[in-house]
Amino acid sequence: MTRLLRGHPAIDVETDPTGSIVAIAWNGRRETVEVCNRWRVEEAWWRGPIARDYFKVVGSRWLALIYLDRVEQTWHLERLYD
Amino acid sequence: MATLSPDVTAAVASLQARWGAAAPRITDGALALAPATAPSLHSVPDPTPTPATTRDDRVIHTGFAALDAILGPGGLPRSASVAIRGDGSSGRTTLVLRLAAEAQAQGSIVAWLDLSRSFDPVEAVARGIKLEWLVVITPETLDEGLAISGMLLAGRSTDMLVLDLPGGRLAATDKPARIADRLGRLAALARRSETLLVVLEPPGLAGGLASAVAESTGIRLELARRSWIRLGRDIVGQRTDALVARNRYGPPGKRATLRILYAEGGERDACLGRDDLLRDDLDEAKAPDIDERTHRDATPPSPPTAPPPRTRPGTSLRALPDRPAHPGRPAVGSGSGHRREPGRPGAGRPARDAARERPSARP
Amino acid sequence: MPLGSAHRLVPEATFIDPDPDADRAAAEAAFEALAAFSPGIAGSADPLDAAFGLFEVQVDGLEALWGAEPVLVGRLVEALGWDEIRAGIAGTRFTATVAAVLARPGAPELVAPGGEADFLAPHPSGLLTQDPDVRARLTRFGLRRIGAIADLDRTALVARFGEEGARIHARARGEELEPFRPRRAPERLVLGLPIEPAAEDLEPLRFVLHRLAGALTGQLAARGLAAARARLHLDLDLAFALAGTQGEVDVEQRFPEPTADAEAIERLLFARLERTPPPAAVARLVLELDGTVPAAGQQLPLFTPQAARGARLEWQLARLALTFGEDRVRRVEVTDPEAPLPETRWAWRPVISGDRGVAP
Repeated sequence: MTRLLRGHPAIDVETDPTGSIVAIAWNGRRETVEVCNRWRVEEAWWRGPIARDYFKVVGSRWLALIYLDRVEQTWHLERLYD
Repeated sequence: MATLSPDVTAAVASLQARWGAAAPRITDGALALAPATAPSLHSVPDPTPTPATTRDDRVIHTGFAALDAILGPGGLPRSASVAIRGDGSSGRTTLVLRLAAEAQAQGSIVAWLDLSRSFDPVEAVARGIKLEWLVVITPETLDEGLAISGMLLAGRSTDMLVLDLPGGRLAATDKPARIADRLGRLAALARRSETLLVVLEPPGLAGGLASAVAESTGIRLELARRSWIRLGRDIVGQRTDALVARNRYGPPGKRATLRILYAEGGERDACLGRDDLLRDDLDEAKAPDIDERTHRDATPPSPPTAPPPRTRPGTSLRALPDRPAHPGRPAVGSGSGHRREPGRPGAGRPARDAARERPSARP
Repeated sequence: MPLGSAHRLVPEATFIDPDPDADRAAAEAAFEALAAFSPGIAGSADPLDAAFGLFEVQVDGLEALWGAEPVLVGRLVEALGWDEIRAGIAGTRFTATVAAVLARPGAPELVAPGGEADFLAPHPSGLLTQDPDVRARLTRFGLRRIGAIADLDRTALVARFGEEGARIHARARGEELEPFRPRRAPERLVLGLPIEPAAEDLEPLRFVLHRLAGALTGQLAARGLAAARARLHLDLDLAFALAGTQGEVDVEQRFPEPTADAEAIERLLFARLERTPPPAAVARLVLELDGTVPAAGQQLPLFTPQAARGARLEWQLARLALTFGEDRVRRVEVTDPEAPLPETRWAWRPVISGDRGVAP
């Protein structure tokens, strides 16, 4: 089951020179991660466009779902698998 | 042997004339409310948790048979207070959701104190929870949440209360001594009202609060993820070791392994029923770490080297392209773990409970 | 249909905010118009009711007055004066409803007497029930048409689906289940008492509230009615009040369900007063019970154990919500499980007010 973090807290994401995600930082903690799946969601939402790149990432402690808000160019944590 | 009055006998006869096999029956002078046999429409099993007529209603089943087997009375007693500890992605939340679904199937109304602000109703439904018999409490502070919970229990209209505690520091207004006292009173009230109290302990729980939880609960389960389950490169589940670290109702120290699959909807879920497609990603560098004495969220160990993605002979590892299609959307169904998109007719195949425990791979 | 789904289907559409008061007034006007044709009118004027927009008219024996059924339907539609009305006539309420749903505006669907089962047979089994769980299970069992349900043995359906199984079986076979309950004009019950001397504290208000609730619910019970709403009117004594304090306070409170339970009403309203105490001493308290409907009997919870405590739970949740805040104790509902964004798939549902679908 996943926990859906309401508010989708902002996170910091580190990428390697090829652009692959290698670590995320949230709540003052940094964790090295590996991407195990990714997909894109695009919606012409009537209030405004929605475009997100989702990444399922796994670290030593958590399996999580993060996304890049391509409109705002911000990273967010959406879910934690538990 | 007790004899029923003529009025009751006549009433039962009237019900039987109307409802047939589904009506209450008189057995050995007592009134049995559960139907003896259910004429089947088809052979397709119902994926929702259904109470077996032979189950003891004084215990609530966890949804994982192996865990029920090591708990002593075959599940969690209705008046028990249970603490479930586990590090990130240990499976605590899945376990409690399955437990809540089982409780509802046994006639319970469940209240969920969502202090961590992370309850997902769509996921809950996928695990078999009926939202009409669920109350979600979202207080500002733990103290307020305990006050609301206490009033709820005093009203005796709920049968299971889940305290989903937040990690990190307490709010400034949540004084540890007061919280500890309220928690103890809540546990006592739960016992008296035969309400199952489940406390979800996050990693890094404030010390004073952790002690209060330990003192207030008669059963403590420690969960530790042992391995991921992968479908190709994607992680679609996990194996979790559960230790009964403390048990007022049976012998402590027993362990079981839980197999949890994340059903996220869509075509991919069909693969979750194919064991030959799944593999356990056992990380040898990270042995299950269940410390019975202390379970603190210490500095995380160095992340293990991620194993290279393996491919099966004859298959190709497809680079995931940028595509608008979502590989799977959480679908809502009445199942306890097997989710399918609403509106689509079922294929008639047996549904699977994705959160079903499987026998441990260890001898 | 959820807003997100609607927008996906018609991206160029404009979405208008609902206006419940206007909707209610329009419904009441429609009932009045229909009442000129038949004494048997049923339906709901409550925009939040799932059956809002459905008007039932008993037409038995009215041919002599208004002509044959097609003519009668035409007169009813003309009396309503709306553009897009779909009408159905059948021997049972359920069949007539299905016929109306399937009809096209201007072309009423008439089901021949005794032909209800044949009419219903080819249509989807999902029409038989509002319960999404039952619908899903019927589909899984391959029972996609109403005719397939009608062909089954009733006991098998009861064993699988309980009381709902008996209901869908009867509906499928064209049997009338629900008696026609004509709508009555809403009744308002109001009673007020002076408080001398004016009450600064809440306890004296509770005593007065207890008497008012007891008296009014007694009238409700005598008529076999239950109330869905209450209005409290407080006249304040401003002798020692702060400057600018209003002389009156009005409180409106919906109930979790229609009731004639004096104690439940008293406790709920008192919780409301505790949450928002009056700004000055109260010199007079007036209680009005509104939204009266026929009191429903309690169903035996043979197959849904929680249902026996459902009403008590709702009242307790309502009090907790009033005491701690409506955003503290809530229900949740899945609104659009197919929505691509997780935050749009579900919504909070308050335990008290009629507002639905508050986004997370």
